[in-house]
Amino acid sequence: MDQLTDVLTAISHPTRRAIIGQLAHGPARFLDIAKPFDTALNAVTKHLKLLERAGLIEREKKGREVYISLRGEPLREVAGWVHEYERFWNEHLDQFERYFKDKKKKEMK
Amino acid sequence: MTKTAKTLEFKFERRIPAAPDEVFDAWLNPKIPGNPWNAAEKFLLDPKVDGLFYWTLKGTSHYGRFTEFERPGRIQHTWVSPSTLGHESTVTVTFRKEGQDAIMTLVHSDLPDHELSRGHERGWNYFVGVFVDQFGDGSRKLFRWEEAHASEESRK
Repeated sequence: MDQLTDVLTAISHPTRRAIIGQLAHGPARFLDIAKPFDTALNAVTKHLKLLERAGLIEREKKGREVYISLRGEPLREVAGWVHEYERFWNEHLDQFERYFKDKKKKEMK
Repeated sequence: MTKTAKTLEFKFERRIPAAPDEVFDAWLNPKIPGNPWNAAEKFLLDPKVDGLFYWTLKGTSHYGRFTEFERPGRIQHTWVSPSTLGHESTVTVTFRKEGQDAIMTLVHSDLPDHELSRGHERGWNYFVGVFVDQFGDGSRKLFRWEEAHASEESRK
């Protein structure tokens, strides 16, 4: 599988997205990552392996501890793999909608 | 020109807190933020059936021809840009009343599916951008046409 597919697979599961969310706050040890989940450690290990294969996490040994940290770059690659007109129209329509919402707020004051 | 076999279609919907006729008029008013003509450095706009439009920003030009014009419900025009490789794509915008609001729907169809039209290495999808914001490094930024087309600029 190519990396794009790996990343899409990795972010398709809510537990893995939650792990990414956790690691967005900073590196963590395996048991700290596993703690919030009501699931077997073995299952968390499998999720981490998928995230690692997608290049979304990396492990670093510090003394006796292994810290797992998030790598954001593959997510940005996924973000880039979209049609420019999806971005273009979404941004323009958001601005357009915001204009009317701001206008209505001013009118209500 | 050979027609590209595979085409793409994107649909967007927004609830706008105003009447459809007001929203319709604003969509064609270059002074209102968010419509395609608002940010243009130069534009021509003749909104009527068979009327033409042109707008350019940082050397990237867009052309089109209005094919349907029914105030306040529907606008349809063609859309030609470097990303459509000379093909006429179609933009259909509809406005319908729902309570006090207008439901605005924009469909961009007949877009050739090719590498150039994808934002790989230069793009930033809105929704995935939000995702990256939340879980990545928070570096999401607003779409800027000139950044998205930086490679075209450098070719000139």
